[in-house]
Amino acid sequence: MPNSLPIHRVTRRSVLQSLAAGSLLMPGLLSELLADSAQAPAAPSDPLEPKPTHFPAKAKRVIFVFSNGGVSHMDTFDYKPELFKADGKMTGVGGGLSNQQRKLLKPLWEFKPGGTCGTLVSDLFPHLRNCMDDICLIRSLNGNDNEHYNATLGMHTGSFFFSRPSIGSWVSYGLGTENSNLPSFIALAPQMPYAGTQIFNNDFLPAYHQGVRVIGGKEPIQNLNRRSTIPGLQEMELKLADVLNNRHLKPRAGDSELSARIRSFETAFHMQTEAPDAFDLNQEDDRTLELYGLKRGQSEGFGWQCLVARRLAERGVRFIELVDGSSSHNWDQHGNMAEHADHAKNIDQPLAGLLQDLKNRSMLDDTLVVWTTEFGRTPGVDGDKGRGHHSACFSSWLAGGGVKGGMTFGTTDDIAATVADDGVHVHDFHATILHLLGIDHTRLTYRHAGRDYRLTDVHGRVVKEILA
Amino acid sequence: MKPLFRATRHNMQQLTASVLLLVLLLARGGFAADPDPEFFRGINLNGPAVMIDGQEWVGSDSKLYVCSDKAFENQQVKLVPETDDGRARMIRSSRWGGNRIELTDIPAGRYSLFLYVWEDNNSETYSVAVNGVQVLTGYQSGITGHWEKLGPWEVSPSDKRIIITSRGGAANFSGLELWKGSYDGLSQPISTDDLAFFEKRIRPLLINRCYECHSAEAKELQGELLVDSRATLRRGGVTGPAVVPGDPQKSLLMEAVRYENADMQMPPDEQLSEIEIADLEHWVSIGAPDPRSTITKHTGKQINIAEARKFWSLTPLVAPAVPKTDSAWPRTDIDHFVLARLNEHQLQPSAQADRRTLLRRVTYDLTGLPPTLDEIADFLADSSANAFENVVDRLLASPRYGERWGRHWLDVVRYADTAGDNSDYPIPQMHRYRDWVIDAFNRDLPFDEFVRDQLAGDLRGGSTEAERQQRIIATGYLANSRRFGSRVDDYPWHLTIEDTIDNLGKCFLGLSLSCARCHDHKFDPFTTRDYYGLYGIFSSTKYPWPGIELDKRQRDFVPLVAPDQLKAMTEAQEKQGKQQEKLDKDVKRLKDAVKTAKGDEKSSLENELKAAERKAADHRRQPAVFETAYAVSDAGAKADAAVQIKGDPAKTGDIIRRHFPAVLAGGELPDSVTESGRRELAEWIVSKDNPLTARVLANRIWAHHFGTGIVSTANDFGQQGRRPTHPELLDHLAVQLRDHGWSIKALHRRILLSAVYQQSGMAASGAETDPSNQWLSRFPRRRLDAEAIRDTLLAVGGNLDLSPAGAHPFPDQNTWDFTQHKPFKAVYETDHRTVFLMTPRIQRHPFQAVFDGADPSTSTGVRMTTTTPLQALYLLNDPFVNAQSVLVADRILKHADDHQARLQFVFELLLGRPAADDEAVAATDFLHSAEQLLTPSRESSSDHTSAAWAALVRSLFRLNEFVYID
Repeated sequence: MPNSLPIHRVTRRSVLQSLAAGSLLMPGLLSELLADSAQAPAAPSDPLEPKPTHFPAKAKRVIFVFSNGGVSHMDTFDYKPELFKADGKMTGVGGGLSNQQRKLLKPLWEFKPGGTCGTLVSDLFPHLRNCMDDICLIRSLNGNDNEHYNATLGMHTGSFFFSRPSIGSWVSYGLGTENSNLPSFIALAPQMPYAGTQIFNNDFLPAYHQGVRVIGGKEPIQNLNRRSTIPGLQEMELKLADVLNNRHLKPRAGDSELSARIRSFETAFHMQTEAPDAFDLNQEDDRTLELYGLKRGQSEGFGWQCLVARRLAERGVRFIELVDGSSSHNWDQHGNMAEHADHAKNIDQPLAGLLQDLKNRSMLDDTLVVWTTEFGRTPGVDGDKGRGHHSACFSSWLAGGGVKGGMTFGTTDDIAATVADDGVHVHDFHATILHLLGIDHTRLTYRHAGRDYRLTDVHGRVVKEILA
Repeated sequence: MKPLFRATRHNMQQLTASVLLLVLLLARGGFAADPDPEFFRGINLNGPAVMIDGQEWVGSDSKLYVCSDKAFENQQVKLVPETDDGRARMIRSSRWGGNRIELTDIPAGRYSLFLYVWEDNNSETYSVAVNGVQVLTGYQSGITGHWEKLGPWEVSPSDKRIIITSRGGAANFSGLELWKGSYDGLSQPISTDDLAFFEKRIRPLLINRCYECHSAEAKELQGELLVDSRATLRRGGVTGPAVVPGDPQKSLLMEAVRYENADMQMPPDEQLSEIEIADLEHWVSIGAPDPRSTITKHTGKQINIAEARKFWSLTPLVAPAVPKTDSAWPRTDIDHFVLARLNEHQLQPSAQADRRTLLRRVTYDLTGLPPTLDEIADFLADSSANAFENVVDRLLASPRYGERWGRHWLDVVRYADTAGDNSDYPIPQMHRYRDWVIDAFNRDLPFDEFVRDQLAGDLRGGSTEAERQQRIIATGYLANSRRFGSRVDDYPWHLTIEDTIDNLGKCFLGLSLSCARCHDHKFDPFTTRDYYGLYGIFSSTKYPWPGIELDKRQRDFVPLVAPDQLKAMTEAQEKQGKQQEKLDKDVKRLKDAVKTAKGDEKSSLENELKAAERKAADHRRQPAVFETAYAVSDAGAKADAAVQIKGDPAKTGDIIRRHFPAVLAGGELPDSVTESGRRELAEWIVSKDNPLTARVLANRIWAHHFGTGIVSTANDFGQQGRRPTHPELLDHLAVQLRDHGWSIKALHRRILLSAVYQQSGMAASGAETDPSNQWLSRFPRRRLDAEAIRDTLLAVGGNLDLSPAGAHPFPDQNTWDFTQHKPFKAVYETDHRTVFLMTPRIQRHPFQAVFDGADPSTSTGVRMTTTTPLQALYLLNDPFVNAQSVLVADRILKHADDHQARLQFVFELLLGRPAADDEAVAATDFLHSAEQLLTPSRESSSDHTSAAWAALVRSLFRLNEFVYID
């Protein structure tokens, strides 16, 4: 048995003591077990340890809010007086799925100026309107695809067709995490959006960078709650597994999958205590709950997602995604634009609350908040009173984390059908987010299948104009 | 301008008749034009034989068509626009009501169809379909007297018939005109002078200066404009009509050649001469007389088949020579191929794995379960030379084999028990297909038969009724195509067919065909025409309707009843249904009565109601008179499909003959075929000359044995896929399959008995130059997949249920009310193997989601292996895992009283090997410590013992060794 351990050095007594000792994965036992071995593997470096940035970062973490279904830009953030006047007239393009001729449909909501900057925002977002001084609004975002699935995938991975690592996984890969007891990338997704788990998948990046889905409720992460009621028993079980796992690993050194799996139990163990604490909103005062429109004891809804996001940000989680809506219940109003009101009401106050709360805690300076969607909607009518999918131009915004507040960037034409000036492609959007995190998007690469991949593929321009 | 004009007239007059003929011949040469269109038949649908445009039409008494619509005539209406008397009379007497006209006795070929319609009073909106293909949607018939000659629509007769139907508002059909060939219908007598001018001045100009980008022969058609036929030039491209006869000002052609518009200057390289521009101007102003009546079309990418077949996966499949390697290591031909590559990379194969490792590896590989203790003992004790071979044969004969390998197939066909529409309707019959797949693997159904049954089983019949029914069930493969959306009007069947073709391409051919739905494939040699050549096969197929938010009832499921009993059974079922209705009515009547009744009457009515409810409920629980399958059948109308321009079903182009790509040794569906073409499709797929099917299958089998395929992108053998690491070996395996009866089990044996399969998984020295182990210098270690992990937990707990799993406990269909807001959502616990878990399409099964299970929405060619804290949390805290640890602890305690025996038992049960000394020490100490911890919490000491063992088992469940195969 050439691979067996030097058992003579471990007394029965020392093993017993180690197993019963308090802290988990006590390094003592393992080092003792391996002390004699000349071939003891060097401790593998932690793939999630914080990594240096390419240049000084403005933002340390990202809260990425994704409103699923395609939020209309001309009904929310992109005021088009001509469109109000042209109601019922034929359009050249921009009906139905963007390339059909349809009658124009006027927006259903009035626009009013917000903040001292006076940016016009529709009555769909009265709370966010008050935050416009902190928000950098981009009105000229554009993508490649008018299908939900592809556009959602594109907004998350930069790839509109093939499965690729999510932006959260890239950020985790590029920066590591500040809290190894929580995942570096958490997706607060009570419902699944289009393209399913792919939107927070690590794809070809190492699995450490996979987004962990949180659903809310009594057990927000599946199997987070301990089943055993005996204190210390689970720790003992894990210690034994750790000893045996490392024994198994030794002759298989270099198999990173095996060492990653050992590590995953460590993370999982700590998550059992860290995560419930992060999700426990009872620690918040009434005023804070009120900011988000939350009732005490509430553990679901978009307000819950927003407040938990702040708590995770405080704990050093690198990338926090909030999914608004699901693949079947969302902003996709083909038949009746009036339904946008319910979806807007659901997120308006919580999002404004999040911005205000981060600001109150001086966290907005180094936390980048992103709000986006997969595409906008057509100026032309779809169905009776709805709008179709429109990736040619749409609106999104950034706040905090090194962007200029109170500004707008990019414009669209008179009916919000095409970009007029300063188009920002999804790749540019991604490049800018990475830049704010101190990452050069052309240098964040991963070698896979014979070539270096990037989030931005071979594209992407940092929108320097919006940097503070 | 004027002098030029005169000059041209002058030139023209010099032409003799013979020169003109020569010019005509020259102009037509150089490109293969279709034969001139030929008038075939005209029918006056309500009236006598008549002469239209110089062609003899038959009258409504003709036997050449069938129409039972009502006749209508009003010759008083003034037609808009006006027309000649004969045509006007024909138009104003028409048929309406059923709106179905069937033209009969039409020989095979391509035809152009025109339909005269008119409006006698108020505008109606309707759609028109020809042989089931919608050719016109949302047509508005216009003001009183408005008429139109609709078409032309290209059509091939189906079963010698062409059927014209309309839906929506009342349509008046007046007459039909059918031309053989591709005729544009723009009848226009051309004078000799005009013809000569066109041939001398215009045709050469268009050919020389425009055709390169604007003709059927253009490599890449620009702006969707074809100037090589009368109709396409007038229709124009994306910017509108290029020529408006008689109006040069409105003709975009003139705007372009004059370079008036900076965005549209044609030809772009060099402007035409003044004379040429003047010629064009003159020609347009005299009405653009143009004899080119055959509509041209740009067929897109031209595939050079010989060139395309040079790509590695499309090269003809022939047995490669087995490389000669000078080594004692190889046991089989496979080893020679592998060793040749190892030698090239200065690598050595590893030694033979030890027996325990080998047994665990092959048992998981073929059955997805760990070896039992008896099986381990037997193998260790068998010193015969063919001990391993016997193990392989035993495992291949086990019913557990089909459950394992059937699941691999279900991955590829994106099996699900729900439909995938927004409400995710359940399909209680779907499990029959699952069971058919498992059974097919177990009986080693030859793969060519496996393909035929899944694509065309319903058309094949069977030597017994049971076989016939099994083949119907097999077409569940097609039925299981994804459903989409929530709408009933405008239901997106095209997406379901798209899903069928997408899966068919990936599954059998390793090709992403769906790119060609909207445009010719950018990388692989497949065109949009190829795509719609397949599309017609599936649009001629009737898919079952699983229910949807606004139309909840199943229909078009296929009865599993012998044909001679179908009538009686259907009647019995109807009777049962009526009886149920009657019972339900009784309940409702009594419920209403109870509401108004009082006193004694009320209580007696209440008793009556209870009895009636019981009766109705009992009756509802009766088994159905006969079972059905979620399977397909041929549609009533079987026809070729039209290209959907840029994938938009509302915009149709050419009708494409059903076919299979020539580059894969396919061909057109013979005219004699009256079915959908699925039977022929299956033959094309399994044809010996189609190089992909065998390669793709051989690679899948290899991939499941070694964790990675020879082509690592198992579903993509195209340009975008990875290249094979061992191309000759892949061909060797593929030829073995194809030429030896397509037996999958035979291929397993070949692979498993090789030395490369039986190597140790420990890295040999020197292997660091190949960290990903692509040259196979050792056996690739891999994690168990989701099914194997759960099945193992059940197997070691002793509660794995191996009895037939059957149907899922879905709610009664009568209660279904799923919507997109409240979609169907369920998890059914079971102790059956994981392959039998109910698999929803939209709401993924949580266990499958955590452990990288197959995607039930799209073909999973390769499962990922991710390592996440969620998986760890599952093994820490999931109630199922905890329950299984208790069951294993019970088994341990029952197994022996002796501590050491117990320890050895649990290690062997969970890890397939005894505990090493140090492990035994650590485990023993753990048990002591655990009992100490547990003491205050429990009454009896036997409980502590049991709980401590359960804790040990949980600890072992979390070992890498437990979920990894070496």
